[in-house]
Amino acid sequence: MTRPFEQRRECTIVAPMLTAREGELSAEEVSLLDQHLQGCNECRAISLALAETDGLVGEALLAEAARRDFAPFVDEVMARVGAGPQEKASLWARALAWARAHRAAALMGTLAPTLAGLALIVYFSDSETPPPPLAGEVEVVAEGRAPMVLQTSEGPVVLLGGTDGT
Amino acid sequence: MGWRALNFRDPASVPLMEADDIALVTRAKAGDAEAFRALVVRHQRKVYAVALGIVKDPDLAWDVAQEAFVRVHQHLPEFKGESAFGTWVMRIGHHLAIDVIRKERSASREAIDDVREQDIEEAAEGVLSTASGVSPQQGALRRELLEKIQGALAQIPAAHREILVLREVEGLSYEELAERLRIPKGTVMSRLFHARKKMQALLAEYAS
Repeated sequence: MTRPFEQRRECTIVAPMLTAREGELSAEEVSLLDQHLQGCNECRAISLALAETDGLVGEALLAEAARRDFAPFVDEVMARVGAGPQEKASLWARALAWARAHRAAALMGTLAPTLAGLALIVYFSDSETPPPPLAGEVEVVAEGRAPMVLQTSEGPVVLLGGTDGT
Repeated sequence: MGWRALNFRDPASVPLMEADDIALVTRAKAGDAEAFRALVVRHQRKVYAVALGIVKDPDLAWDVAQEAFVRVHQHLPEFKGESAFGTWVMRIGHHLAIDVIRKERSASREAIDDVREQDIEEAAEGVLSTASGVSPQQGALRRELLEKIQGALAQIPAAHREILVLREVEGLSYEELAERLRIPKGTVMSRLFHARKKMQALLAEYAS
């Protein structure tokens, strides 16, 4: 059975008042609400239903917050505001805070092992080529029947040998 | 008539856990990091709860809450104490959470449902009455219900979620909600009613 238009209109006006806490409505509003609820089963039902869930959202969220481990929260905040890490601040929290505050240095720190590795590779790959002869040393670079070339500190010396071995 | 000892304690000598927010703020402004730490510890869970209610994601809520305290620290010298420190912190946390939502909404716009007359007729019956008792069975049901609430909260429009969280976690009055949200009191009442009605209907669905 549908309600008369006037009553439905009053429901629309009154229903939002159902969420009011004590002292939030004017005396006039309180009077209108009370009067309406006496004659409106639907709004009375809504009022009861809303009362059942009143405060549950707050309770659920605060319960969730209470369940969560907040131990690192304050240390992370303190590190971020640069108020100096506490003794009890975790090493990880401090490292994170430092990394946030010194992004460039943190990047270099991360890249440092890679760069060091690259430097070692370059060094050892270079060391595989034979070192140049030291000054004063003599190196035979060709021998046999062909002319012998001696690398000396003064430069290459070509020895023209005969077939007799001289 | 004997002398009555009056104990005017130096604010700096009051143990941190006993000190009120005003005393801690004064000390924090003077550079006392331990006082600021105490303020964070005192308000962290509530700021997190509001952020969680609005942004829905626990890790995002954690970041929002931390950012709120970082902003508080930055602006502490400007805090004049015109409102309670807790209110100030919550306001900052609330605005940061809303910023996150706005960024999310730029991708998919979420409309606030207007007041609909037929909503009044959609109220679920009192199926949750069994969840408000104190027996072990009812207690278990209530715990389950608290978990379901977060799921239901995620399903309602952001503006409804926002007003509900501010009302129930921060405990703001109609006037405070109107001031915080910059909307008329009538809109506060209407929005809050529809938010609560949607939550009630969603929870009734779970319970059934």
